[in-house]
Amino acid sequence: MATAAGFDFRRWRLVLLGGLLVGIVLFAAIFAPWVAPYSPFDLDVAKMLQGPSAAHWLGTDELGRDVLSRAIYAARISMQVALLAVTVGLVGGTLIGMTAAYFGGLVEQALMRAMDLLFSFPAILLAVVLMASLGTSVLNAMIAIGIVFIPGFSRLARASTQAVLRQQYIEAARSIGMSDIRIIFREILPNITAPLMVEAAVAFAYAVLLESALSFLGLGAQPPDPSWGNMLSTGRGFMAQAPWLSIVPGMAMFICVLGFNLLGDGLRDVTDPHMRE
Amino acid sequence: MDIRSRALQDGRPTLSIRDLTVDFPKRDGAFRAVDGVSLDVWPGEIVGVIGESGSGKTMTALSTLRMLPKRAVVSGSIELGQRRILDLSPADMRKLRGDRLSFIPQDAMRALNPTMRIGRQVGEPLVLHRNLSFKAAVSRAVDLLRAVHVREPERRVEDYPHGFSGGMQQRAMIAMGLALEPELIIADEPTTALDVTVQAQVLKLLKEIRDREATSILFITHDLGVVAELCDWVYVMYRGKIVEQGSVERIFMDPRDDYTKMLLASTPTLFPREAAI
Amino acid sequence: MIRLVLTRLAGFVLTLFAASVVLFVTINVLPGSAAKSALGIHATAQAIQRFEAQHGLDRPLLVQYAEWLGRILQGDFGTSFQNGVAVGPELLKRLPVTLELATFAFIIANLIAIPLGAWAARRHQKGADRSITFLATILGAIPNFWLATLLVLVFTLTLRWLPPGGFTPFTVNPMMNLKQMIMPALSLGVVSSALLIRIMRASMLEVLSTDYVRTAEAKGASSRTIVFRHSMRNAFIPYLNVAAVEFGFLFGSVVVIEDIFLLPGVGSFVLVGIINRDYPVLLAGALAITLFVLTLNLVVDLIASLLDPRQVKARNA
Repeated sequence: MATAAGFDFRRWRLVLLGGLLVGIVLFAAIFAPWVAPYSPFDLDVAKMLQGPSAAHWLGTDELGRDVLSRAIYAARISMQVALLAVTVGLVGGTLIGMTAAYFGGLVEQALMRAMDLLFSFPAILLAVVLMASLGTSVLNAMIAIGIVFIPGFSRLARASTQAVLRQQYIEAARSIGMSDIRIIFREILPNITAPLMVEAAVAFAYAVLLESALSFLGLGAQPPDPSWGNMLSTGRGFMAQAPWLSIVPGMAMFICVLGFNLLGDGLRDVTDPHMRE
Repeated sequence: MDIRSRALQDGRPTLSIRDLTVDFPKRDGAFRAVDGVSLDVWPGEIVGVIGESGSGKTMTALSTLRMLPKRAVVSGSIELGQRRILDLSPADMRKLRGDRLSFIPQDAMRALNPTMRIGRQVGEPLVLHRNLSFKAAVSRAVDLLRAVHVREPERRVEDYPHGFSGGMQQRAMIAMGLALEPELIIADEPTTALDVTVQAQVLKLLKEIRDREATSILFITHDLGVVAELCDWVYVMYRGKIVEQGSVERIFMDPRDDYTKMLLASTPTLFPREAAI
Repeated sequence: MIRLVLTRLAGFVLTLFAASVVLFVTINVLPGSAAKSALGIHATAQAIQRFEAQHGLDRPLLVQYAEWLGRILQGDFGTSFQNGVAVGPELLKRLPVTLELATFAFIIANLIAIPLGAWAARRHQKGADRSITFLATILGAIPNFWLATLLVLVFTLTLRWLPPGGFTPFTVNPMMNLKQMIMPALSLGVVSSALLIRIMRASMLEVLSTDYVRTAEAKGASSRTIVFRHSMRNAFIPYLNVAAVEFGFLFGSVVVIEDIFLLPGVGSFVLVGIINRDYPVLLAGALAITLFVLTLNLVVDLIASLLDPRQVKARNA
């Protein structure tokens, strides 16, 4: 029911909730140096493996570092990786998908077959193999995950572009002599952004998961850089004495992924021609 | 003497609807799909309800079956023989459906389960209401299909719906509706989707059924030609109300309501005599 | 029918072939590191050169691929750079472990998703539907390796019911095998079920709104009859397609889960291959997983075609 102010809270509730969670994570990521109580690298071996306390809200890890601060800085890494990875996937996938749909024929066949091939690899496997090839570092994780996302985005871009191509304004543009490139960027691109944005939100969630998985396996952020994945990995070694080390990073991942998923679901509900249930 | 006059001497109508009102709640207020409709169907009578889309004719039919969308608000009374339809429990209503009261929808192809053989679907009422095994029901289905003039019914019962032509599919639906010799058949535009020749066959079949079994038929349609061909009594509906009723001959030769006149005027001439304008 | 099977089979082989090219090229594109890994960082340039010549790593990629392919087709998967052990037999030993894990996880996921999804659809927009949808959202956000960790925390450390890892074949000691597999399978299965719940619900909702379900209702069928006799089979067809994709994802996730629970499967094999830069191992493992996934897609594709009689007719026509 639209309020007097004109804002329909019910319709946007998933977006708002997701946005809130994502906002918290982004805030932590962006303002980490100001928000985190300690530096993530500050060792104090005397204080190691302490449980949550007033001084350390989430306890300390095996080298006496503040877990809360590390989790906050880890958010930074996750967000950076996710941002770059989704950008790579989005841009690459959209270009490929639009080109395939626009030019059709052999070009489309070749491109989409290639995408299908990439798509047949399970995501983690592909990411892991790419990391083997590129070498383990955060930057390479961004690239690897980005590449993993390209086929998905390309499929969506292609389908959306095909839908747009069926519209008459494309014919109109062609008939007045607009060049292909201009048509693609002026007419097609703006009209396929909505579904792509929805997909991007969901991709963010998946990027966080993949990055965490990679760091968990030791293939992403390298110690002492904190990443939720490598925090969880080292934390497992101390499960008996310091269970919070295993709980905190996972919880952070969960909140982040949940936020992006809700955001994606919410955006999908809002942008779809949605009949009142 | 027509059916009505005879019946008035004998007993009660098969179906008796009084002051039926169907409302659909909306954001502000409600939409009245059926507005104080009263109609009767006598034993062995074929009653036509004619109107455009949105006239409320289908809603009236669905009310009789108690198959309206959940949010509909119904008031008035519907009696099938001695039973007060609107007061029945869902379980009791289910006992009536398919047994004493059956439904033939418009689009037979979509109304048949694509992954279930015809024999099982046609025979299912016997399984549901007479506790037959499916095997027995399928052999009865052979007879039912034969009764609706489907050739080689023994072979046809093993077919899936997509193996039947449009006309045959509709016949299968009719067979399904006849399985337990109901008191009333409600047919919702069953011939609209069919070719003219096939339509003629189906109409002939319906008349034959009425003649053979004295089943009453409530026939919903927007096609005056069909009404002329098939029905004994006609109700004309417009915007949820009944604007005129009478025997087929009277309606065609002496329409009184403006809307009825308009309907007649917009149809190619059916009788050698001109319709009154 | 036969024609369909053959066409799909041909596609399968072609894709497998293409996938092997992609894997091979990706892994072997960067020179030098394999030698360094095997010989240590302090290896001399000469030692590296010798190693590479020995393993044929200094020749053009295409030649390397052709040779590798030739050997693969004869069943020779090469030897590990690290310890010289033949890769083939080791891989074979590990296949059943991964298969058991993935299958077990998949079964769990379906056992959760199918009833919950169907139930949610029947109670569309009522309490049960909302709770189930909420549950699916929550479950889908849990990282499976975190769930694994939590399960170990609860069931191994606290309750001491289950072992933390390791693998005993089912044939040797079924009870132990199940105890070792249940947590890994749950970690994978529970998270996978999230998507499947949604798909089943959506598929079921779609079916429940069809005309033929309305016909069943008009015949006086009860809600239960409608669900089980008329809806399930039709709802399964689209469901299976997605479930197959999800099963494929499971095979990817085994890499992480096998590591956590010390399961000697293909996933941990791949991991070992990466960490040690042991290319033959990595390649063989990655190829095996890809083979699993592609085979799976093939099988499900064929089954789905069988379930849908319309497709049978279309092909026989």
